[in-house]
Amino acid sequence: MPRARINNRIRRLRFDHDEMTQEELASRVGCTRQTIIALEQGKYVPSIELAFKIARAFGVKLEDVFQYEE
Amino acid sequence: MTISQKTAWAQLAIFGVLVIGWVILFSINGTVFYWQDETMKMTFYWLCAAAFGALVIMNVVAGILKSSLKAITDERDKGIFRRASLWATGVSYSVVAALLLALAITYMEKGSESIPVYFPLFIVIVGGVTLILTQAITALLLYGRKVNHAES
Repeated sequence: MPRARINNRIRRLRFDHDEMTQEELASRVGCTRQTIIALEQGKYVPSIELAFKIARAFGVKLEDVFQYEE
Repeated sequence: MTISQKTAWAQLAIFGVLVIGWVILFSINGTVFYWQDETMKMTFYWLCAAAFGALVIMNVVAGILKSSLKAITDERDKGIFRRASLWATGVSYSVVAALLLALAITYMEKGSESIPVYFPLFIVIVGGVTLILTQAITALLLYGRKVNHAES
């Protein structure tokens, strides 16, 4: 069975939001900058809570940030 | 680098130095058990006390920093350390079990019904050092790999 992939558009959304810094996003959602870096590099799949916080920080729906691919 | 990564590196450095110290000590001592020489025995215990003391101080400092600063650790750090602790527990239990079995078999083959009291203490110390080193190494490896929150 092939493994599912969860992609995200965090880098793009940061750029669209006046080039929001990783530090600023991390501070808004309550995580470390290293976690934002790991998310953007696809090295971390977050909890549903953090995913919602990120979507809320950008003012968009969850599906606009994270995409599930089988 | 997060404070949790720095903690893992510090753990690795402290206990890496301890293991190097043991290797030097045992290579000087040769085949004689370390507790049969008073100087060697005291050096061995001082090395262990220094390493575990440094670990306690490091954790106190890290705890103060974590409580005073906002978002210094997060779910990713906690998940990585939870997984690293599981691995470390499994590996250290296996090491302790293997050493106890080897000890029992060696002394049974000699026809002895008793073992020196220093052996169990030595095995406990080795188990503790294995636990800390495995935790540090696994955590550092996980920081470089893909981690899924749901799996940690």
